[in-house]
Amino acid sequence: MTLRKSMAALLLASAFALVAAEAHAEKVFKRANDLSYGGKESLDPISPNRFYEVNDMVYSRLVRQDDKGEPSPELAVSWTPNETATEWVLKLQDGVKFHDGSAFDAADVKYTLERIKDPALESPLASVLDFIDRVDVVDPATAKIVLSKPHSGLPLLLMDYRVRMIPEGAGAEIAKTGIGTGPFKVESYDPEGQTVLVANETYWEGKPKLDKVTFTAIPDSEARNQAMLGGQLNYNTLTLDQVPQYKDNPKFVVQDFPAGGWFGLVFRADTAPFTDPRIRKAMRIPVDRAEMVKLMVGEGNGVVGCDQPVKANDPFRAELDCPPDPEGAKKLLAEAGYPDGIDIEVHTADLEPGMVQFAEVYQQQVAKAGIRVKLTLAPSDGYWDDVWMKVPVAMTSWSARPADQILNEAYRTGSSWNESYYSNPAYDQILDKARASLDINEARKLYQEAQRVLFEEGATFIPYQQNGLRVLTADVSGIKPLDEDFIRWHLVDMAGE
Amino acid sequence: MTSVLATLGAILRRPSGAAGLAIVVLHVLIAISAPLIVPHDPALQDSATILQPPSTVHLFGTDRLGRDVFSRTLLGGREAMLITTLSTAFAMAWGGVLGVLVALVGGKLDALVMRVVDALVSVPWILLVMLFVTALGTGTAALVPVLGFSYGLSVVYLARSAALDFVTRDFVLAAQARGESQWTIASRELLPNVRDSLAVQGAMQWSWIFLAVSSLSFLGMGVAPPAPDWGQMISDSRGIMRTAPWTVIWPMFFLSSLIIGINLAIDAWAKVLGIDRVQRTPGP
Repeated sequence: MTLRKSMAALLLASAFALVAAEAHAEKVFKRANDLSYGGKESLDPISPNRFYEVNDMVYSRLVRQDDKGEPSPELAVSWTPNETATEWVLKLQDGVKFHDGSAFDAADVKYTLERIKDPALESPLASVLDFIDRVDVVDPATAKIVLSKPHSGLPLLLMDYRVRMIPEGAGAEIAKTGIGTGPFKVESYDPEGQTVLVANETYWEGKPKLDKVTFTAIPDSEARNQAMLGGQLNYNTLTLDQVPQYKDNPKFVVQDFPAGGWFGLVFRADTAPFTDPRIRKAMRIPVDRAEMVKLMVGEGNGVVGCDQPVKANDPFRAELDCPPDPEGAKKLLAEAGYPDGIDIEVHTADLEPGMVQFAEVYQQQVAKAGIRVKLTLAPSDGYWDDVWMKVPVAMTSWSARPADQILNEAYRTGSSWNESYYSNPAYDQILDKARASLDINEARKLYQEAQRVLFEEGATFIPYQQNGLRVLTADVSGIKPLDEDFIRWHLVDMAGE
Repeated sequence: MTSVLATLGAILRRPSGAAGLAIVVLHVLIAISAPLIVPHDPALQDSATILQPPSTVHLFGTDRLGRDVFSRTLLGGREAMLITTLSTAFAMAWGGVLGVLVALVGGKLDALVMRVVDALVSVPWILLVMLFVTALGTGTAALVPVLGFSYGLSVVYLARSAALDFVTRDFVLAAQARGESQWTIASRELLPNVRDSLAVQGAMQWSWIFLAVSSLSFLGMGVAPPAPDWGQMISDSRGIMRTAPWTVIWPMFFLSSLIIGINLAIDAWAKVLGIDRVQRTPGP
């Protein structure tokens, strides 16, 4: 063969190889883990350290929200209450298998739901679902949830992003194995390095379109942004001032969606001086919340709230008014023994974009009420383990949750994510009454009353609920502009190179 | 006094020295007069002026919270300069005295002190400083002793080796023969002879410590908001560098010009004094 011929043959061979490689190119969807649990991210869906971005993909719920946020079937095809809403009968999806090949049935539902109450697990869900007395297995495809108190909103709570079905008896090792019924299976689990998921070929709703999903640990929010810009990620969350970097770039798609997540500043109600409700209120009322929305997320991208954890379009949200009142705050401080103002130390971390900025804006806003804020930037990794719920004043961040859930989970006496250590028996009673109420108007009044109590004497400053912002690479399809737990991951696809 | 003026004149006759000194003097003047000349409250946030490009109202534009970058930049070196100056003085004082003393006394004390210093120097300075800052908190009161201590370690080496050149000289031996105390010998005979080396070293330390303070502020462990600081401004806005470059360019320019100015001036100074400046990377 002449040199020229052999060169031609070589070129032809490499061209074929390229085409072949193209045809088999794996669709790998790359995401980041913000390492906010410092490597303790758990595959146990109900753990306080749950690795929720992964758990969303490897497990299924009984009930999930449709695009409007209404309960729709997932592993349960129907749910029917008795007349007093003390018993709910769930019919289950047929032919669903766990990643280990075992069949999903009512015994798994019983095991999963009853396990939430195990005090040793300290699950934040325990306070949300503590009214579930037991689950009866009627037959393999039918489960009956028996409540200790009536609750007409059970399906809403079953939509919680953590109520995910695990195999009967799997509790001891679930944190490492991640055996679920979801569209992806855990191939390797290393929260501090890279966690890799692979498609579950036998997923009950059809084979996922992506081959793999990776989660790489990147604790710094700006580093995640740079990784996204550099093409090392396919999915990331954004802040408003990062949007211009992506907006006119054809390689990316920016999604803006109603979410209702919020940042807050938590004052520990069990720690002086915040044991005094007057001081707790004085910390919250000086702030111009409308200005804060404009500074933090931009006008129109957030809804002003009066320290309510409930999102704007929730049917149980209370209409409250809370204009900036620095003079009122000064008066409260003087009454509580601080006529010359007060010094506080606020802990935050560069964990989610905007968390440091939020604290800086707060610092400036309350200065006029004589509140002198010392800002302390804590390390991002391990923030939720080492700083939050430990120091007297710390930043917090929540995704949107139904009113009943968040009002119980974050403020009821003794619940494990009661981040402000707030305890008020009267408040707890209002929630009990609301849950028992079968009349929706009466329930609404009670939930609204609970929010009013929180504004008057609660310990968490919540100036607004914000829209969500995310960026995707342009080759990604199947992700609607909706919050994370609305995404149907088996439908997400990527165009080839 | 005449010798100081002569040295200054000699530095100014060198182009690099004149340029360096001019930059440093300008920075000092800005830092001192900034509170009087800034047009806006550097901490004032305003949603109506977020991320505006430079204009006649906001010469250097505004940042993501609508704050005036010009005012923040002019003020942004003050606290770091104060912390740096105090830390340098502390580092030179303890490092210089300890170094000269162990050189003079020698023997077991010298060996013991130097091994301890060796051990501490082997820990990267940023780890040492972060460890202290985490334990003691931030703020001037915590940073000055921490930085002064960490950066004093390298002064011990320099003072000791400079003093060792002199401890066997006749005038020191004569002083010992006269029965003078070690302290008197150290202060009267040795310190005046190592003064020039230490002074140049001190100026170098200043620029290194300034960079260290800025790095700590960048990491959120240095100057705390609302006080503006260059390191903190760069950290705050590094994510919007492409879309709002004015938010980071000015603090970067001020920070680097100060460091460059100091180094130019020190180079010229060392040459005038006839001291070979030790070439090394920043750090104790």
